[in-house]
This record gives sequence, structure tokens and C-alpha cells, in this order.
Amino acid sequence: MLGSFFNIDGGYLEGLCRGFKCGILKQADYLNLVQCETLEDLKLHLQGTDYGNFLANEPSPLAVSVIDDKLREKLVIEFQHMRNHAVEPLSTFLDFITYSYMIDNIILLITGTLHQRPISELIPKCHPLGSFEQMEAIHVAATPAELYNAVLVDTPLAPFFVDCISEQDLDEMNIEIIRNTLYKAYLEAFFAFCKDLGGTTAESMCEILAFEADRRAIIITINSFGTELTKDDRVKLYPKVGKLYPDGLAALARADDYEQVKAVAEYYAEYRALFEGAGNNPGEKTLEDKFFEHEVRFNIVTLPTTVF
Amino acid sequence: MSGKERLAIFPSRGAQMLMKARLKGAQKGHSLLKKKADALQMRFRQILGKIIETKTLMGEVMKEAAFSLAEAKFTTGSGFNDNILQNVEKAKFKIRTKKDNVAGVTLPVFESYQDGGDTYEFTGLARGGQQFAKLKKNYHKAVVLLVELASLQTSFVTLDEVIKITNRRVNAIEHVIIPRIERTLAYIVSELDELEREEFYRLKKIQDKKRIARKKTEDAKAALQKSGVVLEQPANMLDEQDKDLLF
Repeated sequence: MLGSFFNIDGGYLEGLCRGFKCGILKQADYLNLVQCETLEDLKLHLQGTDYGNFLANEPSPLAVSVIDDKLREKLVIEFQHMRNHAVEPLSTFLDFITYSYMIDNIILLITGTLHQRPISELIPKCHPLGSFEQMEAIHVAATPAELYNAVLVDTPLAPFFVDCISEQDLDEMNIEIIRNTLYKAYLEAFFAFCKDLGGTTAESMCEILAFEADRRAIIITINSFGTELTKDDRVKLYPKVGKLYPDGLAALARADDYEQVKAVAEYYAEYRALFEGAGNNPGEKTLEDKFFEHEVRFNIVTLPTTVF
Repeated sequence: MSGKERLAIFPSRGAQMLMKARLKGAQKGHSLLKKKADALQMRFRQILGKIIETKTLMGEVMKEAAFSLAEAKFTTGSGFNDNILQNVEKAKFKIRTKKDNVAGVTLPVFESYQDGGDTYEFTGLARGGQQFAKLKKNYHKAVVLLVELASLQTSFVTLDEVIKITNRRVNAIEHVIIPRIERTLAYIVSELDELEREEFYRLKKIQDKKRIARKKTEDAKAALQKSGVVLEQPANMLDEQDKDLLF
């Protein structure tokens, strides 16, 4: 009987979502786009798809950055529409999606403030999906620690900072390390939330998040070879919500080169398959490409498959 | 263009010697300058060839670099650009200037060197790290090539100037200085000849006059002798007339 109560809260948004899904560009559209010679051709082709006239008011000559901005604007408008119509728990779910953009924005703002850039320069560069009310107030802080105490404590991201970063860490750590630590906390929180919701959400989302966690652990390990990142620091960046937790992560923490990482992945069937075809020679797909494809496959599965 | 000009100088043997020396000097200078111009031209052509080569290579490298930028943007979302821009503090890639000497012309040469480690080694740690590494490598290659191209082009421009100047000087010596000196020499020689001729003519005239004067006195003497009056005039001391030693 749960199905009959679903439409009260989610019916409108589900309909909207299916509509959006049908509007996604298909293979035929991509073939057409590949045939285009200029940006004007691209605009013409896009007018025939669901993207419609989003570029209609732009003066020619078109620039790639303009198209990029307009596409992002369209996405943001649609997302915010859905967010505005959502109730619990969907609203929290959508908020979680925005947190990853918020993390990026905060990192950008911290970096900018550290280098004394004026706040008016930084705000337009933030991703609109990740904006939060206290963004304007960031310029009062001079160091990341001050920033945290004054501003970040009130944002929804505060718990992520609390779990793993102390005040001195903020000042000393490399900005990218901070970003990855925050992201780890975010993934774990998202995972816990989805699991609580149970049902189909838990099934599909937990799969995706587990894969994301594992993928991050593997990629961080591989990318940290040859850099100053120590093994202990590395362990702090591994999210604990994937299939690799706890044994795989421990093994990864000890790994020194690509072969050892591959050996760890051998224990997990789907990851072994990904390592098979990857390589660094031109013409072969790199490991990251393969991970990407795998993730996309997951996402396709979660899309509603009912034909109507 | 100067036509029949020559140097204003008093024609004398000394002046002639001077002019001969100057002519020799001008000719030596001309051949030396010509050698310099030829050496510079050779270097110029060499540089031109290298510039063409580097520019075509540059086109390909930039294309590859731009494409790897698009790949990195695709993998990580386009926010990293701003992050990197914000993080810029000190230049990690610097240029030194050195001087290179070609046939007396100093050409500036730029040499690039890395200063300090890689501040961005953690960018894309969790996602797109390989793309970033490729991107960094490609753009590094592009910048190195750009520096090389810059030093080639500055030397090209400098050499061009110097070659123009040297050629101008060579032509000036060949078409103005040397002809002028030659004309001056010719003038001096002609003047000297004329002076000689004048001297000669003067002497001849004096000789003639002397001959006529002698003839006159002898005629007068003969006439007197004929008329029977022999006037032996004693030598007059006051009437000293030294016979010309020459004639």
C-alpha cells in the first residue's frame, strides 16, 4: 500500500524527473553534434532537442564558456525547482547532492581568502548549486581557522569538519588534503542517511556510494605515488563505506606501487575486471576512464526503467 | 646621390700619398665588412629555418595541450581552473638571459629553469589525477617551446637590424667612399701633371727669352764691330751678372 501514498509527496517530482530523463541527449543527437563544424551549428542542433532555445539570447560570436555557463544555469534552475517542491526525506537527499558542490566552493573561498583575493572576485566563480547563505561573510576571516569559527560552523558542512579536522589542521594542511578529508566525511554521512531510508533508495544509492568510496581510495593511492603524501595521511582520506573496508583499505594503505594496488583489487571481482583493460599507453583506456564507465553503468540502472 | 664630388684638398704629393693610404684602408674595410655581413646572413638563415620548425611544432603542441585541458575539465568539472589561479604565489618556471656572440653581434638567448617544487601535486588527487599529470606535462612542454621561440625571434629581429646596418655600410663604402677617394686621387694626379706642365712651359719660355736676349746683344756687338768702333768695355764690377748655371 505504500505505493498509493507515494504520489502525495513525490508524484509531481517523479513525473518531472521522467520528463527530464527523456530529454537527455541520445546517441543520434551526439552523432549530429559531432558533425557540427562551428559553434553556431551546435546551437542550431541543440535547438531541436529538449535544450531548446537556451542560447537564444546570446549575441554571436558564441564562446565555449558562454555555452558552459548557460548549460549550468539551466541545470541549476531545474534542480532548484525540484528542491523547492521537495519534502522530507527527499529534501535532505537533494541537499546531500548539493554538499559536494558546497565543498568545492568552500575550498575555493578558503584558497582565495588565504591569498587575499577580494570576495567579489570569488563569489561568481563558485558553483551555484553549492551556494549557502554565509558565503558573503567569508571575507572577514584571514586564516582558515578563523574562517571555520566565524562562518563554517553555521553551514550544513560543519559536522564534516568536526569529525576529522582540527583547527590547526585547517591552517597547516594542504588545501587539497582538506578537500579530500571533507569529501570522505560527506560520503560517509550520505551513506548513513541512505541506509536509514531503506528500501530501493538504500539498495541503489548504497551501491553507488560504495563504488565511489572504493574508487576514491584506489585513485588516491595510485595518484599519491611519487608525491609527498605519506601513507598515514593517505589512510585518513579513505572513506570507510565501500567494499574495500576494512581489509582492502588496510592493504591499500601499505601499497607502494601500481602493481600492489592491482594485487589488492584482485580480491574483488568487479574491480579486477576494471584493472584488466587499463593501461597508460596512448590508445588504451586509462584506469580512471574504466572507473568512469562503471559508475555510469550504475547510474543507468537507477534510472526508472518503466516504459510509459 | 653624390655625382662628381671629390674631397676638398690641396693637390700635392703628400696629399696623394695620403689619399692612396686612405683608398687602401677603405678597400680593406669594405672586404672585412662584407665578410661580417655574409657571416650574419648565414646565421640569419639558420635561425629562420629553426623558427619555422619550432612554430609548426608549437601548433601541434598547443593543440595537444588544449585538448588535454578539455579532457581534464571533463573528468573533474571545470572548477579546478579557478582553484589553480587562486593558488598562484611565486613563479615556478623562470627564465635567465644569456648572451650569444655572432660575428661581433651580441644576441640575447633565453634559458628556462625550474625553481621550486610542484605546488599542485595534490590537485585531482581523488579524481582526474592522471589527466592532470598529462595536462601539466603538455603545458610545460608548450611553455618550454614558447621560451625557445621567443629567444629565436629576438635574435632574428636583432640580427635583421644589424644586417641592414652592415649592408648599408658596405654599400656606402663601395658606392660612395671609394669612388670619392678615387676621384680625389685622379684630381690630384691631374693637378700635379698640370703643375708640371706649367713649370715646363715656364722654363721653356724663359729659355726662349734668354735666347732672344742673347741674340740681340750679339747682333748689337756685331753691328758695332762692323762700324769700326770697338768698344772693349772692361768688366764692370757693378754689372754682375752671373751666368745662369743651368742654361
